[in-house]
Amino acid sequence: MKCYVCAKEGRSPDAVAVGIICGMGLCTEHAMREELDMWEGGYPFPARRVKAKIPRILCPECYHALKGK
Amino acid sequence: MSDLAKRCIAELTGTALLVYFGAGAAAITLMIARGTDTGTPFNSGIGALGGLGDWFAIGMAFAIVIAAVIYSMGRVSGAHINPAVTIALWATKRFPPGETGAYIVAQLIGGALGSLLFAASAGMDAVTVGGLGATAPFPGIGYGQAILAEAIGTFVLMMVIMGVAVDKKAPQGFAGLVIGLTVGGVITTIGNLTGSSLNTARTFGPYLIDSLLGGPDLWVYFPIYVIGPIVGAVVAAFFYGYIGGEAVTVE
Ligand SMILES: [Zn+2]
Ligand SMILES: [Zn+2]
Repeated sequence: MKCYVCAKEGRSPDAVAVGIICGMGLCTEHAMREELDMWEGGYPFPARRVKAKIPRILCPECYHALKGK
Repeated sequence: MSDLAKRCIAELTGTALLVYFGAGAAAITLMIARGTDTGTPFNSGIGALGGLGDWFAIGMAFAIVIAAVIYSMGRVSGAHINPAVTIALWATKRFPPGETGAYIVAQLIGGALGSLLFAASAGMDAVTVGGLGATAPFPGIGYGQAILAEAIGTFVLMMVIMGVAVDKKAPQGFAGLVIGLTVGGVITTIGNLTGSSLNTARTFGPYLIDSLLGGPDLWVYFPIYVIGPIVGAVVAAFFYGYIGGEAVTVE
């Protein structure tokens, strides 16, 4: 698979990731990867942050839509 | 401040709100019914105005404040706001032994604070006429009967907590609403038997502040509200663990 964002600009690098929301193929430059906190518990147990974080990958569009910028 | 201390403050606050609004509703009902002809000896004032509707109204006051506390503080401390619940979770190895005592102390202090604030808000009639909504067996209800009723009521409460919250297969988001309504429903039925405490801290708060401010002395009944709720909750937690299978297994 090729990077969707690059393909629109006429380039064709291979995709190394897939956006989890829209499913775009993404190159290293366009894959927005963040590690999110995981929580466990909640009523009737106190919620605690789990040590391990969970990685998530979005395309630039979804990322900016999510973050509101 | 340590994490445990913050969680204890959440338990204290939650239990204070429970007693202020829940037990407070019972006290208000007695204040409104003051001087009314109660008709039968089984009627101590709550029920004089609206029959079982009086108990339903008190039950709804409890239901709503319980839902509010669970939704607002459930993720902070677990929002047990009830020593019987904390003990049942500890007894089934779901809650750390080192924190169980701290939670119970916080809940008892919170119960007393809730009653004190209610007395401060409503005036001395709330103590002398309303008894701050303290629970006691109603006329004709024996000590053993009262313990049984409290145990059964708390059994239902703890079964619901296990089924809608502890069970990993439970749908998310319903706990506060369902648990609140369960307590409200239980109060409607057994309110006129025992006051339907289901909660040692909910009874302790009004008892202590009544003693301090010259309200009724009901301590002779206190063991009912220690034994009944704790036995009911612990039996329910083990019972659900037995019938509920893997989804409630403690790892
Ligand atoms: Zn690209
Ligand atoms: Zn996307």
